[in-house]
Amino acid sequence: MTKEPLLDIRDFSLVFDTFDGTYHAIDRVNLSLQPGEALGLVGETGCGKSVLTRAAFGLVPTPPARITGGSVKLAGRELLGLSDRELRQVRGRQVAMIFQDPMTYLNPVFRIGTQLIDAIRAQSGGRIKRVEAKAIALDMLEKVQLPNPERQLAAYPHELSGGMRQRVLIAMALAAKPRLLIADEPTTALDVTIQAQILDLMAGLVDEMGLTMIMISHDLGVVAQVCSRVAVMYAGKVVEDAPIAQIFDAPAHPYTQGLLAALPHPFRRQDRLASIPGTLPDLLHPPSGCLFAARCAQAAPACGVPVPMRPVGEAHRVACTLYDDERKKEPAHV
Amino acid sequence: MQRSAGAMKRLIIKRLSLMLVMLLGLAVITFTVTNIAPGDPARLAAGPDASQEMVEKIRVERGFDRPLPARFLFYLGQLAQGDLGNSVYTSRPVAQDVAVFLPATLELVLFSILIAVVLGVPFGVLAAVYQNRLPDHAIRFLSVSGVALPMFWLGLMLQWYLSLELGLFPLGGRLGIFDEVPPRITGMITFDALLAGDPATAGNALKHMVLPAIALSFPALAAIIRVNRAEMLEVLGRDYVVNARAQGIGPFRIVAIYALKNAILPTLAMIGLRFGWMLGGTVLVESVFDFPGIGLYAAKAAISSDFEPIMAVTLILGAAFMLTNLLIDLAYALLDPRVRNQI
Ligand SMILES: Nc1ncnc2c1ncn2[C@@H]1O[C@H](COP(=O)(O)OP(=O)(O)OP(=O)(O)O)[C@@H](O)[C@H]1O
Ligand SMILES: [Mg+2]
Repeated sequence: MTKEPLLDIRDFSLVFDTFDGTYHAIDRVNLSLQPGEALGLVGETGCGKSVLTRAAFGLVPTPPARITGGSVKLAGRELLGLSDRELRQVRGRQVAMIFQDPMTYLNPVFRIGTQLIDAIRAQSGGRIKRVEAKAIALDMLEKVQLPNPERQLAAYPHELSGGMRQRVLIAMALAAKPRLLIADEPTTALDVTIQAQILDLMAGLVDEMGLTMIMISHDLGVVAQVCSRVAVMYAGKVVEDAPIAQIFDAPAHPYTQGLLAALPHPFRRQDRLASIPGTLPDLLHPPSGCLFAARCAQAAPACGVPVPMRPVGEAHRVACTLYDDERKKEPAHV
Repeated sequence: MQRSAGAMKRLIIKRLSLMLVMLLGLAVITFTVTNIAPGDPARLAAGPDASQEMVEKIRVERGFDRPLPARFLFYLGQLAQGDLGNSVYTSRPVAQDVAVFLPATLELVLFSILIAVVLGVPFGVLAAVYQNRLPDHAIRFLSVSGVALPMFWLGLMLQWYLSLELGLFPLGGRLGIFDEVPPRITGMITFDALLAGDPATAGNALKHMVLPAIALSFPALAAIIRVNRAEMLEVLGRDYVVNARAQGIGPFRIVAIYALKNAILPTLAMIGLRFGWMLGGTVLVESVFDFPGIGLYAAKAAISSDFEPIMAVTLILGAAFMLTNLLIDLAYALLDPRVRNQI
């Protein structure tokens, strides 16, 4: 780690002030990305992947959310505490986001062209003229291989298929040539064949534009195709962070092991997918120790106190007491 | 676009023919209700001073001696010729009265709906943007009063305070006694005066409408604020708003353009509904402010059991209500491409 990271999230915590009490959605998360790196962020639904990546760039409304600590640095610049205007510039120019459901992320009552041109002009802080923005929009639509770009500009979102809309959203996100791309389950809502096309397209663009990327997914298989490193989140915490090969070959955290066991295996016959028994802990009253302990077959008394991340290999870190020196116990493999 | 223009035309024709059917139904109802009401229609039509002989003559002449279905057909025939019957009270053909009083009411109602929309939509937006903060609470106070205060009571209070106490506005009527009524073009004095190049009279006519329009628009204002606030809240939480923010688009543009164009659609439906209610509300408000419109005309006719004007006004208000709904649906289609595709 000699270079300065492009994105450096340190001890980031966020709560939602709800009617029932304080919901501890994100708890002291650390994430760091080198320029050009592609990180996969995985974890089951509701574990805080979207909230984390959105809140870091001021996209989660406060209230109800409240950032309770930590720091988010983009290319060395602290983002927490910036004004909305400054954050808007960051979002438009440096950080691009692509979301899960292309059906709902385009405004249904405006033409594709209007939305693209508006976005491109906003990204430039209003410096780009309408005509110029239109040229960029056409150029980008060609880049994402949308057929008939000129005609699509006049179309409304409902006239396009899901895959086409996702291409439009990718074109929109990348028009300003950002440095960081956050792809929040960009293919989950699409047909399998379309998924592969979109993943290919994204991988190509990431390469071509030299983007740094966080790819959020439930699906370790998808992540394996695009990312070199994986961070596993559970109940608002990052519990394991490792190169992709390590995650598949030597998953350290019992939760990660569970996730892998839940993957359909191409060579093994399975009657049904394995799944991890139990449910997410109550984050209104989170336990003080490991949040996974209640679902963990290998839980021990030591799991009742806060469990920090510790190194277990080359660039491989995990938050689990199995690797405590005191708990001299071989990690179980599933 | 070409295709959707044709579809639009077909929609309009379809809706207009449907309107005719509904108006026919409305005519059946008003006709039946007024004709099974107690009282001798021939005597009423002849007036209190007429001799028995006169009454019998009118009974035959106007067909009151025939069975109800036959009389209804006769009534429809008259309607088809634009004959709305006669008013005992004004002793003029109802059609003539309507031509005089309807434009006055239209003017008043248009002014009222304008107030309700021009204030209601921005207030709804503000309340949503500042949800649960001071502007929201202040605006909620306004919209709750709009529900709680009866229209006629509000009218009386406005009269008492703004007119009698402060003398800011005239107590009632449509023009001052010294104002010259402009030559009739639309029948709406404000417009006619402007067309005649007499802005002073136009201003005066407007001033006469301020208090009744406030009273008339208040409940509609409240309803529009409530609907628009709720819709804005919902829309501001939608995914496309998150995406717009992620692109760095500014809050004003997101609220006033991206979100509002979506939120205004359900609000439009409420505006149409309230426009219809306002037409009915003119009966109360025009009575309070002695404003010579169709509502006051209907109220006076009702008091003197003058049936034909009441039936005519009911039909006219019904038609106006249906036309408004058609206009709202067309506006919907204009604003929402998904609706446009369905027609
Ligand atoms: N406005 C809010 N108020 C209260 N809780 C919220 C709010 N928004 C999100 N949460 C909670 O924060 C948690 C994390 O949500 P998030 O959307 O980040 O999950 P996720 O990991 O992205 O899940 P998925 O894979 O389903 O997208 C969830 O438990 C959710 O209930
Ligand atoms: Mg998510």
